[in-house]
Formats: sequence, structure tokens, C-alpha cells
Amino acid sequence: MQAQTLNRRWPWVAIVLSLTIAFVFAMISPAADSLQGFERVRIMYVHVPAAWLAYLAFFVTFGGSVGYLITRNLRWDRIAAASAEIGVYFTGLAIALGMIWGKSTWGVWWTWDARLTLTAIMFFVYLGYLALRRTTDDSVLRAGRAAVLGVLGAVQIPLVHFSVIWWRGLHQGPSVVRADGPAIQDPLMLTALIVGVLAFTVVYVSLMVKRIELIHLEDRKAAIDQSIERPVAGEAVTVPDLGGSS
Amino acid sequence: MTETLLVELSKVGVRIGSTQILRDVDLEIRAGEVVGLFGANGAGKTTALRLMATLIRPAQGTGRVLGADLTSPERYDVRRRIGMIGHTPGIFPELTLGENLQYAARVAGVPTDRAGESLAAVGLAGASDRLAGASSHGMQRRTEFARELMIDRSLLLLDEPHSALDRDAVDLVEGLIARKAAEGGAVVVVSHDRDRINKIAHRSVELSGGTLS
Amino acid sequence: MTTGFWHQVTAVINRDLLRERRRGDVLWITIPFGAIALLLVPLAIGTDAILLRQIGPGMYWVIVMLFGVLVAVGKASSETLPQQDASALLGLDPAAGFVGRAASATLLLLIFETVVGLVAVGLYDVSIVGVPWLIITLLIVAIGLALLGTLTGSIVNSTSAGTALVPLLVAPLSVPLLLGATQSYEGLRLGHSILSWVLLMAAVVLVVAIIGVLTARPLQET
Repeated sequence: MQAQTLNRRWPWVAIVLSLTIAFVFAMISPAADSLQGFERVRIMYVHVPAAWLAYLAFFVTFGGSVGYLITRNLRWDRIAAASAEIGVYFTGLAIALGMIWGKSTWGVWWTWDARLTLTAIMFFVYLGYLALRRTTDDSVLRAGRAAVLGVLGAVQIPLVHFSVIWWRGLHQGPSVVRADGPAIQDPLMLTALIVGVLAFTVVYVSLMVKRIELIHLEDRKAAIDQSIERPVAGEAVTVPDLGGSS
Repeated sequence: MTETLLVELSKVGVRIGSTQILRDVDLEIRAGEVVGLFGANGAGKTTALRLMATLIRPAQGTGRVLGADLTSPERYDVRRRIGMIGHTPGIFPELTLGENLQYAARVAGVPTDRAGESLAAVGLAGASDRLAGASSHGMQRRTEFARELMIDRSLLLLDEPHSALDRDAVDLVEGLIARKAAEGGAVVVVSHDRDRINKIAHRSVELSGGTLS
Repeated sequence: MTTGFWHQVTAVINRDLLRERRRGDVLWITIPFGAIALLLVPLAIGTDAILLRQIGPGMYWVIVMLFGVLVAVGKASSETLPQQDASALLGLDPAAGFVGRAASATLLLLIFETVVGLVAVGLYDVSIVGVPWLIITLLIVAIGLALLGTLTGSIVNSTSAGTALVPLLVAPLSVPLLLGATQSYEGLRLGHSILSWVLLMAAVVLVVAIIGVLTARPLQET
């Protein structure tokens, strides 16, 4: 029993711990960016990891969707859906923070640069995914249709990534993953950013663990539901009776 | 004649969403049989037909139709040998009766001149150019029977086949049913007209409480 | 894919084009609607010729994307369950059905693009440049939208939302086509090579086509 309790608590512990570490690194990193100001740059330590987590979550949705299409095991579908839920939230967070950063840096809430806009598009793709899941309570139908959309939506992810290079908008180019090495030269800033990405990865994994616990409970409920003998639909139809009491 | 099993259902259950429609259905239909399927409104008769047509997968139990497992991809391979005429016509109202049959012929891979012959066989030769949407329900039904005449089917599933048909068409339907059975196929007829069906069926089954008796 | 497969594709194309010819949804409703939309924009933002010349190409492609959805959705989702059952029991390969429906939607979209394009040229004084590459762009966009609409129509088939959900699903997924088309036109106008954009759009089309064909069977199940 105690091991089970620990099992349920550790994701929350991991989330708090990893975010605390990331926060500390974000606060102790220098204010080296003279263009963006001392405090504004710290938004980057949440915005970038949130965006990374969004990509990760949607990649897992893609994997879950492929897994369902191959195995027809509903567990894969629930993983895909759980990951999409998390991804939508963190995409929204990344966009919101990007807007705050943009307002303070460029003076407008929305810059219409390629990556920000395509991230917003990705957000709507997965909103559509979640909307599709709500259109039927038939778990098999829902899983199949959502899986196809999950695979289709994943086409977006490489396009969002490469858009920075191809369309060269206002958004700064990839800060870390570049052919000529990271743009951020200060090692502490770079470390803070990487720690942030790792922390959010831990957050994602922890949230998925909790969500998958719920999935297990949903699976058990579904199995119990299946085993209960319910009246068939036709039993609701009875012999008509037009007569009243005599 | 070898009594080939064309339909084998064992403890089959069908759920649509969270609603159980059929439960513990056991049914065997052999080549040459005409089977009447009766039941009250909402009993699941149409669902049972669509199950036998391989259009629905069973949620419980095992089922084979024309040798194909109802849960495996091989069910796609036998669909061409299954004919079904449901409540609502499955033809396209924007096409003429003749065009509907020509489309069916092309998809099924039969010569398109059979379309005209089949339409004539059901008494609609003069209505070939009439839009299906502008035709009566009875004419649309006859067109569907023409389609089934055109294509070689081993299993024929008919849902209320006599509805909207005049006397001549009723004779046509019963002739088609008898011919199919004589050729070694099988026919399942859903109907509320028990007297009429019992005259042409070898046996009948009753769907009640989601199961067959 | 056997010759039988392509016969079935042809049968579905003939069927859908015949249905459209008799119904006239695209030719008499969607195309005029797209033209009216192009007419409304200057009424809302101003009729300055220079402004309209600048925004004209982009407006055209947006209209194509948004209204193209209606063309593709109409074809993809206008089969009733009995019609689908009948086609399935004729032995129609679901992949052939998908390819056929997408092909007929492509033809209708090409007509849509052409007519609405002429309206855009007239109302916005948009110049027609790089005709061969422009035709290729129009073709790829038509194919891509047709595939997206047909595939998403199949995805929402048998769900409660039905066609209402399709525009929400298609619109964001069509953005790579929108960006490719607009950048292609801009490139042609400036005399730049647009091969990379064309290849990008072709890649999107290829991916959607493959997904559509591979998932045609699973999506048929209700």
C-alpha cells in the first residue's frame, strides 16, 4: 500500500523538484541580452521549454496513433489522447508567453512571423483532434478516426520546425540546434535553457504517468462495464397499449 | 449437395458505442437455405443483417461469413459475394436508374451490358433514363433487385423486401429468392409479414432480447 | 493496385462528376460564393488599386483554401450509409473509393480555382506570371485540398459532428499549401526559382495521399 502511495506521489514530487531547479537556474543566469532587457529574457526559460514540450507531446500523439493503427489496442489511443491534451496546454502556454515576449520586445502582441504563426496553427490542429474525439462515445470508432488525424497532424511538426529556416520571420532562429553551434554563447544562459528543457521533459513524463494511471482506471472501468450484463437496446421497445382502465 | 456453411455465428455480440444491440447470437445458415428473421421494432434485425454483410465487427464471440472471419481483413474479400437490400435504397438519386446499375457493374467488375438486361428483367427497361431521385420508392427497390440479379452473389440479405412493391414486383422478389436458393446460395429475409415469409422460407428465427431463438 | 483497382477509381470519378453535373453544388453555389467573397473584401478594406494589387494574390489563395474545403467536403461526405454499404458490397476497394473521390474533387477544385482566379485578376488587377509554374501550383494545391478534404471527410464520417467539423480540421492542415502557393506566386512575380516551394507542396500532397490510401480500410469501419 505504501509503495502504491509513493508511486502516485513521485510524479508530483518530480514536477515540483524539476521546476524548482529550472527556476533557480533561470534566476541566476546573467541578464546578458542588452536588447531584450534584464527580466524579459527570462521568459525564454519557460517559453522555449514549453514549445519543446509541445513538440514532444505531439510526437508522442503521433506514436500513439501509429501504435493504435497497428495493434488496435485502445491503450495506445489513450496515450495519444493524453499526450495531445498535455500538448495543447503547453502549446497555448508557449504562444501566450511568446506574445508577452513579443509585446515587450517588438511592441505588438502578434508578429505574424512564421514559427509563432505555425505554432498557433499546430495548436488548432490538435484542438481539432480533441474536438473530433468528443464527437462519438464509441471508443473504437473514436480511436480509429483520432489515430488517422493524429498521424496526419504530425506532418505539421517538421514544417513548424523548418519554417524558421525557410521563411525567416521576425522570430529569432533556432537558438540551440544550429549547424554552426548554439547562438547563446554565455554558458550559464545556455545551461539554464537546457535545464529548463530537461525540467519540462520531466514535467511531461510525470503528467503522462499520472494520466496513464487514469488510463488504467478507465481500462478497468471499461472492462467492468463490458462484463456487466445490460439490457439490449431492443428491450426498451414494448407492446403498445392504447387502452385505459375500464 | 454439400451443405456448405455460409454463415456461422457463435455467441456473437454487437455493441454500437456503449449500447448492446445483439448478445449471444448463435446462427448457422447453409447453402440453399432461405431463412426468415423476425423480431419486434428495435430488436436488432437490421444490425444482424449488417453483421452478416461483414459491415459490422462483432464485439464478442466469433463469426464467419462465406468462410471469412468477421474480425479479419479477409472479410473485405468476400463482400463482393454478399448482396444486401436494406430499408433505405443504397442508390444515388442524382443518377438515372440505368446509370446506377452501370456504376454497380463497373465497380463489381461485371460487363456493363448486364445492367440493361437486369433492368429489363425487373420491368424497368423503359425507365432506364429516369433519375433515381425522381422515381418511386418501389422503382428504386426494383433497381436494387436488378443489381442483385446482375452480380453473382452467394448470400442475399433482404430487409423488408416486399415493402413498396406491387404484386408483380413481389412475385419477382420471391422468384429471385427461390432461384438464389436453388443455385446454392442462401437468403436471409427480414420481414414483419410472417405468413408470406413462412411460405417461402425453409425455417425462421426470432430475434428477441438481442439474441436468436 | 490492379487494373481492377483503377477501373473502380474511374467508376467513382464518373459517378461523382455525374452527380455534380446534375446537382451543380460546386458550379452554381460554391464558385459564386467564392467570387462574392472576393468582391466583399475591397468593400470592407478599401478599393485602393495599389493595396488591392498587393493583397489580391493572398486573398485569392485564402479563398481557395477556405472554399476549397467546401468543394472537397461536399464530395467526400455526401454518401448516405446505405449508399456506402451498397458500394462496399460491390467490392469497392476503400482505397479506390478514396482515390476516386479525391480525383473528382481535384477536377472540381481546378474549375473553382480557374473561375475564381479570373475574378481575382479582374477585381484586384493581379498579374498572371510564370504561367507553366502557376499551372503546376494550381494543380498541386487542388490535389492537396482534394486529398485533405476527402480524408478528413472520411475521418468525421459516422460521427455526430459530421461535415461541420471538417473545415476546422482541414483549414490548419492546409496552411503548408497556402504558404507554398503564396510564396510560389511571389517568387514567380519576382523572377525567383520556386522549385523548393513546389517540392514542399508536393511532399505534403504525397504524405496525405499515402495516409489516405493506407487508412482507407480502417476508416470505412463504423
